[in-house]
Amino acid sequence: MFNVTFYIRRLHSICGIVPMGLFLLEHILTNAEAIGGPAAFNEAIGRIALIPHDIMLVIEIFGLAIPFLFHMLYGLYITLQAKNNPAQYGYVRNWQFALQRWTAIFLFVFLIIHVVDLRIFTKGGGTPISYELLDQMFNNAGWFIFYLVGMIAAIFHFCNGVTTLCMTWGIAKGPRIQTFISRVMMLVCLLLSLVTIAFMISYKMH
Amino acid sequence: MADQKTVHFIIERQDTPDSKPYTEEFLVPYRPALNVVAALMEIQKKPVTKDGKKTTPVVWECNCLEKVCGACMMVINGKARQACATLVDQISQPIRLAPARTFPVIRDLQIDRSVMFESLKRIQGWVEVDGSWEVNTAPIQDPNVAATAYEISHCMTCGCCLEACPNVGPQSDFIGPAPTVQSYLFNLNPLGKFDKEKRLNALMEKGGITSCGNSQNCVEVCPKDIKLTTYLAQLNRDVNKQALKNIFNK
Repeated sequence: MFNVTFYIRRLHSICGIVPMGLFLLEHILTNAEAIGGPAAFNEAIGRIALIPHDIMLVIEIFGLAIPFLFHMLYGLYITLQAKNNPAQYGYVRNWQFALQRWTAIFLFVFLIIHVVDLRIFTKGGGTPISYELLDQMFNNAGWFIFYLVGMIAAIFHFCNGVTTLCMTWGIAKGPRIQTFISRVMMLVCLLLSLVTIAFMISYKMH
Repeated sequence: MADQKTVHFIIERQDTPDSKPYTEEFLVPYRPALNVVAALMEIQKKPVTKDGKKTTPVVWECNCLEKVCGACMMVINGKARQACATLVDQISQPIRLAPARTFPVIRDLQIDRSVMFESLKRIQGWVEVDGSWEVNTAPIQDPNVAATAYEISHCMTCGCCLEACPNVGPQSDFIGPAPTVQSYLFNLNPLGKFDKEKRLNALMEKGGITSCGNSQNCVEVCPKDIKLTTYLAQLNRDVNKQALKNIFNK
């Protein structure tokens, strides 16, 4: 007996934390440098660029692209298994369940547009990512809102994902600890969202 | 009698498993402590709609009338519950009744819940008994474990948890919270635990415990207050350990 479904589901669960969750945190930290202005942000990007291109490419393909695509495609399949019913059963956890799936669908589209635009066409086409480039993009209100919503959706999806991971792996068993973890993660969600809003708005300030 | 107090029902009906659903409204004479099953019995006695039109009696299932058998589970004002234990005084009117469409509808409010029986067979929801014992020779059971087993044994396969679960339905192959948690009951049994590995492996298959999405509606709607999510988390621990055994013991 191989129980393929079991291993794929568990792999899907781990992928959400490593590498995806860690990458999201790194993304927020690097982007938060924008609060310090163009020089600070460009310097943070410069630090990442110190990683040799060949090594970076291997990390990007095997550490990011493959796990991301796996999580996104299998996650889409999971999303299609649900008939969301928070209007009927309006419990907090059921709303979070539905939001996890709604954010998943939005992020599926968001991530494809984001990566194809900035990583493949812009950076892959030879234009380095810089504060000035993003500032220009965020001058368009549509892009600004699209990225802000995308970031907050990703943060919620990650934080709620940690909560459900603790249930799925049998780490948090009883309702007391499950509720505790859920509240802590929603607090983390709030804090990360505030940081994101701060660095996004800072583009308008400098 | 003209100004007698009545209870307003809006019932989703369906004549055959494949025909289109429609709604009919009924006024049932009020009496103290009236429950939904008793009101349906009144409609059965006098199948006349609110507008005075004669119709066929509404079909539903019930048996024990004391929240033990699970047969009268239906969607009442949007939520899955037992019709016999739902008092008219405690819910808002008009009272909307609908069949639990997670299951195939046979007629009106009557549904086919045999899928749960099939799921119980899948998870081996029984103990291979090889005889009975005198009290002093029976296998010893921890009374704390027995208390947990007693709680889970209250499950009457009514299907409330499956109806409320967003991951159970025609779009998914999830067997649902009730049959999944029953495997834990039999794993706790002093003799049933010998088949624990078989049950856990069944839960690791497609449609098993991995299909749980942690919406936790099951524990909210369970009419027997079984701590379903706690036992689901325990089973998640158990299948993880079983997975390690499967990898490293063979």
